[in-house]
Amino acid sequence: MRHSPVWLASALSLMTFGVLAEEIDFQRDIRPLLSDRCFKCHGFDEETQEADLGLHTFASATRDLGGYQAIKPGDSTTSELIARLISDDPKEVMPPPKANKPRFSAEEVALMKRWIDQGAKYEEHWAFEKPVRPGLPPVGESRSDHPVDRFLDQKRVGKDLPLNGPVDPHTLIRRLSYDLRGLPPTIEETDGFLAEHAKDPEAAWGALVDRFLDSPAYGERWARDWLDLARYSDTNGYEKDRPRSIWPYRDWVVRSFNADLPFDRFTIEQLAGDLLPDATTDQIIATGFHRNTMLNEEGGIDPLEFRYLAMIDRVATTGAVWMGLTTGCAQCHTHKFDPITHTDFYALMALLNNADEPEIEIPDPVLTRQREEIERQIADLETKAVATMDEGKYQAWLAELRARSVPWTVLPPLKAKSNLPLLEIEEDHSIYASGDFTKRDVYEVTLDLSPMVGKAVTAIRLEALPDPRLPANGPGAAYYEGRKGDFFLSEVKASVGGEPLKFTGASVSFGKISIGSGEAKGENLYDGDGSTGWSTATREGEAHSLVLRLEKPVEGAGTLDLNLLFERHFVAGLGKFRLSATTADGEVIALPSGTPDVHASDDISLRRAFVRVEPGHKKLQEEIAALRKRLPSLPTTLVMKERPANHPRPTHRHHRGEYLSPKEEVAPAVPSYFEPIPEGTPANRLGLAKWLVSERNPLGARVQVNRSWQALFGRGIVHTSGDYGYQSELPSHPELLDWLATEFAGQGWSIKKLHRLLVTSAAYRRDSRVDSVQLEKDPDNVFLARGPRFRLTGEMLRDGALAAAGLLSPKRGGPGVYPPQPASVVELAYGNESWKVSTGEDRYRRSIYTFAKRTAPFAAYLAFDGPTGENCLPRRDRTNTPLQALTLMNDPMFHEAAEGLARLTGSGGQKDPLELLFRRVLAREPAEAERKEFLAYHAAQLSRITSGELKADEILSAERGAVTSELAAWAMVARVLLNLNENITRG
Amino acid sequence: MNESLRNLTRRHFFHDCGIGLGRIGLASAFAGGFANLAREANAAVSSPLAPRDTHHRAKAKRVIFLFMAGAPSQLELFDDKPKLRELDGKPIPPSVIAGQRYAFIQPDAAVLAPRFPFARHGQCGAELSDRLPYLSKIVDDIAIVKSLKTDQFNHAPAQLFLNTGHGLPGRPAMGSWLSYGIGNEADDLPAFVVLKSGGSLSGGAAMWSAGFLPGSHAGVPFRDSGDPILHVSNPKGYDRKAQRDSLDLMRKLNERELGVIGDPEIQTRIDAYEMAWRMQSAAPELMDFSDESQATIDLYGAKPGNPKAAFANQCLLARRLVERGTRFVQVYHSGWDHHSQVENGVRTQALQVDQASAALVMDLKQRGLLEDTIVVWGGEFGRTPMVEASAALGRSLGRDHHPQAFTMWMAGGGIRPGITLGATDELGFHVVEDPVHIHDLHATLLHLLGIEHTRLTFRYQGRDYRLTDVHGHLVEKLLA
Repeated sequence: MRHSPVWLASALSLMTFGVLAEEIDFQRDIRPLLSDRCFKCHGFDEETQEADLGLHTFASATRDLGGYQAIKPGDSTTSELIARLISDDPKEVMPPPKANKPRFSAEEVALMKRWIDQGAKYEEHWAFEKPVRPGLPPVGESRSDHPVDRFLDQKRVGKDLPLNGPVDPHTLIRRLSYDLRGLPPTIEETDGFLAEHAKDPEAAWGALVDRFLDSPAYGERWARDWLDLARYSDTNGYEKDRPRSIWPYRDWVVRSFNADLPFDRFTIEQLAGDLLPDATTDQIIATGFHRNTMLNEEGGIDPLEFRYLAMIDRVATTGAVWMGLTTGCAQCHTHKFDPITHTDFYALMALLNNADEPEIEIPDPVLTRQREEIERQIADLETKAVATMDEGKYQAWLAELRARSVPWTVLPPLKAKSNLPLLEIEEDHSIYASGDFTKRDVYEVTLDLSPMVGKAVTAIRLEALPDPRLPANGPGAAYYEGRKGDFFLSEVKASVGGEPLKFTGASVSFGKISIGSGEAKGENLYDGDGSTGWSTATREGEAHSLVLRLEKPVEGAGTLDLNLLFERHFVAGLGKFRLSATTADGEVIALPSGTPDVHASDDISLRRAFVRVEPGHKKLQEEIAALRKRLPSLPTTLVMKERPANHPRPTHRHHRGEYLSPKEEVAPAVPSYFEPIPEGTPANRLGLAKWLVSERNPLGARVQVNRSWQALFGRGIVHTSGDYGYQSELPSHPELLDWLATEFAGQGWSIKKLHRLLVTSAAYRRDSRVDSVQLEKDPDNVFLARGPRFRLTGEMLRDGALAAAGLLSPKRGGPGVYPPQPASVVELAYGNESWKVSTGEDRYRRSIYTFAKRTAPFAAYLAFDGPTGENCLPRRDRTNTPLQALTLMNDPMFHEAAEGLARLTGSGGQKDPLELLFRRVLAREPAEAERKEFLAYHAAQLSRITSGELKADEILSAERGAVTSELAAWAMVARVLLNLNENITRG
Repeated sequence: MNESLRNLTRRHFFHDCGIGLGRIGLASAFAGGFANLAREANAAVSSPLAPRDTHHRAKAKRVIFLFMAGAPSQLELFDDKPKLRELDGKPIPPSVIAGQRYAFIQPDAAVLAPRFPFARHGQCGAELSDRLPYLSKIVDDIAIVKSLKTDQFNHAPAQLFLNTGHGLPGRPAMGSWLSYGIGNEADDLPAFVVLKSGGSLSGGAAMWSAGFLPGSHAGVPFRDSGDPILHVSNPKGYDRKAQRDSLDLMRKLNERELGVIGDPEIQTRIDAYEMAWRMQSAAPELMDFSDESQATIDLYGAKPGNPKAAFANQCLLARRLVERGTRFVQVYHSGWDHHSQVENGVRTQALQVDQASAALVMDLKQRGLLEDTIVVWGGEFGRTPMVEASAALGRSLGRDHHPQAFTMWMAGGGIRPGITLGATDELGFHVVEDPVHIHDLHATLLHLLGIEHTRLTFRYQGRDYRLTDVHGHLVEKLLA
């Protein structure tokens, strides 16, 4: 029976409480032993199976091994397994000494024997079977008919754990406030709740829960947990760890929690929002979830190796977040413990692997209107200037331009191919490159010379063109290490009819190399040295050109074959370009970038071009430059975009998980053990996303429900919340987990409803003081005979201190901000960057808006086990360290909050400053004993300050207001309050 | 407080703070079992004070890792190759270079001769270039390993690999494994300290991260500006008495709460605050070199407070740390990434590190600390026998990254002195004798610290992880 009522919590409880059941339960008693000590060599991975024996299924374990069986159902005496477990021969005994696994104890051997004697029944691992909604147990010890309490009561039967009563309302409101909003309650909220609680505790509680769920702070608090999973960060990670703009994704997560976007849609939009019909901007922003992988910008790396590693991370993260599976193991080999084959891993990757990764601008009507307005002003200025310009000068300029300009004929490409990037011929005869690029790309282009029939071609021109689809609008495809939109053309080879053409001269409209001191001149392109070449760095988003003059004119017949080499220590292919030819004689040159094409432009455009460069219009040019500087740029974010149908990216299995060892191509699919993506649903990100929140995935709802449970009760029903596989701890309350999972999916995946359900239980509201019997029998509070208590996160400690001090800014969203921390934190990071502390209200924003730098996370959060953003983090540690004490005691940021708190007491006008501080920080009044201690401390410090031993103007900052001895002493009191365990803990 | 509470309290403190006796990591590693975390708790509760022994008797108690970030050229310092002088300027045979990936150079690059003369030194006759005059005086105390190999050919991944056994961020650093496995000997300083001199570090904070181990095992970087340990000084306006008065009040109130609530975590908090207080006294004392003799300061070439002698100052600080019980000290010196002008680069950097590196070994030896302190000197990979030159980058006469073969030296703590281990082929391209992979280096260092590398494990996401992953062999020849 899978839902046997005697199924105990975990292996721990098994040891603690002894085996109660007569009948052996495979899941509870046997599989953990087999999985831990046997499966590594006798499990799913057939390649590493020793002695050709698998103990993971009934069939393989009972197979005839030549006259004997490892397991003979019903007969432990002739089962070889038992003989091996008890053998004294080091060559025979299992697990063998070299496995470094504990031997089976006498008790464990007895268990194995009984299991075999009872028929060696195998059962499917609980997590891989669909949750079945169990009936509600009867109302139990807590006399609560809340479903959560009924399940908890049932599991506590016979444990002899004294049950705590409800906690006092002060602690209760503080608990709920931090849990739902990440902030302490205000005095007004506490007073209101206390008054209502006194009248009708249940009604007061329901109203309070609703109020907090509706608070915009709710989304900020719960988004933080999700961002831990999403490995969100504002920098790229790895060596250079440069900033990236993906905060619109973070804001989307906050908004989604506040809007209670159902978890199924929340899932689908993050994995495949771009694939939804008529995808909205929000749905596309949501695909930033898997753009939170790191980007290595170190010079010289193999970019596709790191793309592959990002894909590995995406598969592992998807597995952890929506399936609770540690798929990562299957990167290198078939999972030894869970039914995920090596091929399954790459099939899952194939589902996710068919996307390009652009950065998009987010439409903003206000900013767009501002842009249009400025563009119009520029046009007006030019029109005005054109009306009054000096005609003589203009004609002279035009004549000179005409003399320098030669007519160019565009050569239509017939064929374009490359080593890897997709080259597509566009309608204007340009070539557009997309897809994956390497550090050494070669484009081969065949051009139609028929427009030049009968003419002698004297020079070839390559135009490098901007395009909004390219990084920084191009013209290059560079997206890391160098400047975005950069390219580096190293060598050009040309031939007609197989005859190589020789170049005798070259010129460029503009040339500049990024990273390095080389010169970007045209002659570099035929010097035979790949390390010299042409770039147009710093002028991204503009058109530039290169002219190569032929040694001997060539007859315009047949085709011109061009071979373009792009070779740098980073990706440097051209994103868009076009080729033309001319028959002009003499020294044909490339005119400076931005020069109008005199042959193709109308009169007014030429006149406008003139006023833009004519020195006589200097004032106009300055005005235009000033206006351009004011052009607001739209915010950008990183998203996914499914590849075009004609250019799918193949996915291969990689031997031992190594990038350099691709094997056979693998078709997209969910792991073969599970029900497949249904027919008619595409096998892509959308199909996967829908599958993950369908009944076909037995884990989706369970994993999400468990995460909420973990956040509210301190410990997941499945404690190993990133792993539900065979190696995981069994759930402490399997029926409750399944009931919650089916309830969650059934009620429409509303996370707010789920949270409401959990916090309205009596268990959530229990007193969290620890009785010695409870401590002895249930130190980890698995059975929740007492209320959950745990340390707050670093973010909550900061937000709480700022809120209590009245300093917290209510401003929401936008780019990351820089609260104060010592400069030395980021000095350790690459490039000796500085942490430019935000001023004004940005200094006091909620912690979720703190700029998250992967290689130098905000020190106060990291000290309290905050994330680095380098990996998906299903559960934070909760350590208790001296460095945390140093942070809370001595970090000027917390000191500033203490000062803020002191200033709220007024300049001595407040009747009872201590009570005010207590209520703002701890949501309660001081007890008499506490009052005595604090006032004695206050008096002692005050006398030291007035005597000059301590200086008020050092403890307080005159910039923030009056400096008095009294206030300084209260600041010292406030600091102690902030450091109390009671403040650090949500009790 | 009843006994079980006391025990739990102790367990919490050792588990969370990573200090004190701290052999709990090994306890859990021995216990194995399917309920890893719970087991760990139980094992600790049953014998909180009984010091779990290391797997075998430890030769070494602590490590100072002189991390030459950027990767020094073995061909200019340790591994002379006459053949390269002979072939200087000629392309390397395609058969040698085929299938290798490089960061910057192209496969047809020419050979570059070693830039400095080499000579033999000491009784052991170890060969060193003339850029290491100080090291040449102590060759009989060190083991030179010419056959290191790594899996990574770019700085950040290779630096992470050398620290954590993995090329991506997220795994615990070796110092964190030690803190978790055998704890700290100091009760007023961190177990794992990171010191730095020179420029930026590619691998970043992930190099001293605790990875999936509890964050309390993370390396504590000492800062160049402000407090050496973040926030180790009192806030502005607080003198020692004000701080102690405040702590006394916190303690009283926390004890009161402990009495009412009974949560052992509160006792842990009280203990953590007291250790913070001790660190506040210990840190200034540690950083104050005034009790060092002039002879010692001169031995290192240290100039306390002068950033020009940063590496020497850090080496001296490293010795002061291990004296006080810190388990693992990393001293990073960056500036070895000589893609261009390797000759000048090596000359400059060697001047900065040679004297202090050798002095550290000598100083430890004369204080009797070398016996149980391992000193390791080396970078994340080697440099190519081929020249690097690039017009775009303005580089010439440099060397690119070379993971296939490079050199480190180590001393003390059970390392066999006076040997040169391993050899490369005549071009210095591949290892041909006694290869030592980074995993092997880790296995060997752990062994000297009393830890069997296959048995120091931590279960994370369903798998038992190790510093050496599924690899690593003990290099017996390196053992004294």
